Amino acid sequence: MFTSQSRSRRHRRTASAVSLTAVLALTVAACGDDGSSASGGGEEGSGKGEITFWDNNGGVRTDVWRVIINDFQKENPGIKVKYVGIPAESVQSKYDTAIQGGGLPDVGGVGGAMLAGIAAQGALEPLDKRISGSSLDGKLNPVMSKSVKSSGGGEHMYTVPTSANNGTLWYRTDLFKKAGLDAPTTWPKFYDAAGKLTDKGDNKFGYTIRGGEGSIAQALDAMYGQSGITSFWNGDKATVNDPKNVAALEKYVGLYKKTTPSADVNNDFKKMVAQWDSGQIGMLSHNLGSYQDHVKALGGPEKFRGIPNPTLADGTRVQVSNPIDGLGLFKASKKKKAAWKFIEFAASHKANSRWNESAGAIPANVDAAKDGWIKKSESTDLAAQALSDGKIKIVELPYYLPDWNTISKADNEPNFQKVLLGKMTAKDFLDTLAEQLNEAQAEWKEQKK
Amino acid sequence: MITQEAPAPTAGAAAGRGRPGPRKARRRAWDEVPRWQIFLPLSIYLLFTLIPFYWILLFALRPSGSTSLIPWPMTGEHFEKVWTERSFAVYFQNSVVTGVASLLMTTLVALVGGYALARFDFRGKRPFMLGLLCSQFVPGALLLVPLFQIFAKLQLINSLTSVVIAETVFQLPLSMILIAGFIRNVPYSLEEAAWVDGCTRFRAFCTIVLPLLRPGLIAVGSFAFVHAWNHFLFALMFLSQQDKQTIPVGLNTLMSADSVDLGALAAGGIIAAVPVVIVFGFIQKWLITGFSSGAVKG
Repeated sequence: MFTSQSRSRRHRRTASAVSLTAVLALTVAACGDDGSSASGGGEEGSGKGEITFWDNNGGVRTDVWRVIINDFQKENPGIKVKYVGIPAESVQSKYDTAIQGGGLPDVGGVGGAMLAGIAAQGALEPLDKRISGSSLDGKLNPVMSKSVKSSGGGEHMYTVPTSANNGTLWYRTDLFKKAGLDAPTTWPKFYDAAGKLTDKGDNKFGYTIRGGEGSIAQALDAMYGQSGITSFWNGDKATVNDPKNVAALEKYVGLYKKTTPSADVNNDFKKMVAQWDSGQIGMLSHNLGSYQDHVKALGGPEKFRGIPNPTLADGTRVQVSNPIDGLGLFKASKKKKAAWKFIEFAASHKANSRWNESAGAIPANVDAAKDGWIKKSESTDLAAQALSDGKIKIVELPYYLPDWNTISKADNEPNFQKVLLGKMTAKDFLDTLAEQLNEAQAEWKEQKK
Repeated sequence: MITQEAPAPTAGAAAGRGRPGPRKARRRAWDEVPRWQIFLPLSIYLLFTLIPFYWILLFALRPSGSTSLIPWPMTGEHFEKVWTERSFAVYFQNSVVTGVASLLMTTLVALVGGYALARFDFRGKRPFMLGLLCSQFVPGALLLVPLFQIFAKLQLINSLTSVVIAETVFQLPLSMILIAGFIRNVPYSLEEAAWVDGCTRFRAFCTIVLPLLRPGLIAVGSFAFVHAWNHFLFALMFLSQQDKQTIPVGLNTLMSADSVDLGALAAGGIIAAVPVVIVFGFIQKWLITGFSSGAVKG
């Protein structure tokens, strides 16, 4: 005989069992492979339909992408492009989650700094054959193509390069004129101007240094630029802790607090650019991308100039490579044919020119690089000339190392702050950095075997 | 009642009748301190706290290119830009839907679960409570991939439902613990009296217990709303469609890799902050009562 209590207990048990089974089934289903993993399952498709495009620098570049997408859709009525702007700071984690969990787009913007990591996970389609059989063959800047290949591990082109940025020294022409200073075209002139433009009592500074997020690449740029060392590697050993580099970094870090605000120790690019745009600082090292911010904040382009990094006294210019932006085709795409059409269109002369004019960057399409707007945009023109005049020496940073992002950010940015604050010597900082890089390089070579 | 149980005044107490009580002593001490010694440090602290807000207002209201420290001439160009060009109107709507749905679901489920925790003894109750507490130590980022896969299986990716479910799940442990604390504060005898009068358990709960839980419900609900309103990670990961994104994701898109529109960012920040400020303005009294009673007695 069943009592109501025992019936109720039985019901509860049944309900618990059903719930538990459902949860387990869902969990097992979630852990299983649905066939759409990042490294496979893709198809060429018919060349029509809707494709998804993730912009790795969403927001600020949304408008220009919409124009390009509209033009593309007019030319290809059978293809619809769904644009998704991803915040630049979060794009790496968005890609990583989608690679692990599914849901990658057909086409995505992939910067050089994250290319190695994404390519190493097998998520991107090699594009060499598609490029050679398309209208882009011979139209892509060979230096940028080489850099993209190198960033992806050296064997394949995993993205079609679209643009390059360049380290730029922005300086206030009005302040320089008032102080009777020459343009900071060489390192000695740069240091001279930094000192002469500083008047701490009046809250005026000659330079603003990047001490927060993104500080390592900028410090390396200043370091190699002054030491004149032109290669990142000497065999399998990083040259970052070469005595010449140590001396150069010591000199550069010596600017902190003497000719820069003390708050610079926490400067990421946003704070640094905002600080410079407020009008009390003579010089700023950033890339071409902040041009529009300066124009807006300083009320036009008359009060400032952007020139490539200073040269050594003998005119030699050495600078570190900048990551090349590009468009990648994801292996899991079910519409690779349509996706490739979009990439080909976006990297073509007209679209590439339009995008780079809006961003103030250097086009990867060689025809776009000859367009009239570049001559009118002095900072971009000077950067393009510097990169193509054959005199510049580029120190290729190891973007191909999957650990590069970790080493150049989380692992060493706090140490650089210690160097600025005098709690660590430049030599110790660079020795640590070199050790980590040497290890990462050895590991990468081992994996490649 | 305490007054009934209090001992009668003794001779010693009578002797000390002339001495002021602790409340009076505090009052006198307060009166003896010059006002400026209290209000000056508080004003400095307030100023320090308000400066960042003033800075946001300044950037949002002054025209591009202006370096003035006063937002004059005032402009609405940045608000117009983010609202129309940067699609904040859509993001705002999505955030409201996500916030309100998370509020309702969290409150409802926490109410039911909290009642069970407060009123029933069942096997494994203590480990369950411990599990609820421990779940607070698991960061959302750790569960992103499995959550993503589950939502993908359920075809909920690119749907606000996925964000609402994830937010609710992450809010529930704390909310349930809080609500259970509030329910324990309501004497069980009140419910029993209602049963004696013929109410069912559900009706007794609705008519007797629920009205007494108002501060707690407001505290838990507002907490859930604000958390869902501000949360960035789930919206970024589960919504890969421009017209589905929420305010925190929209704010982040105003900062590119090498350029940032400070005017637009400040205007976007104000748009994001205003609903939260309004909500807190209305409910602050309930919120403080709610959190303190739930937390102390829980």
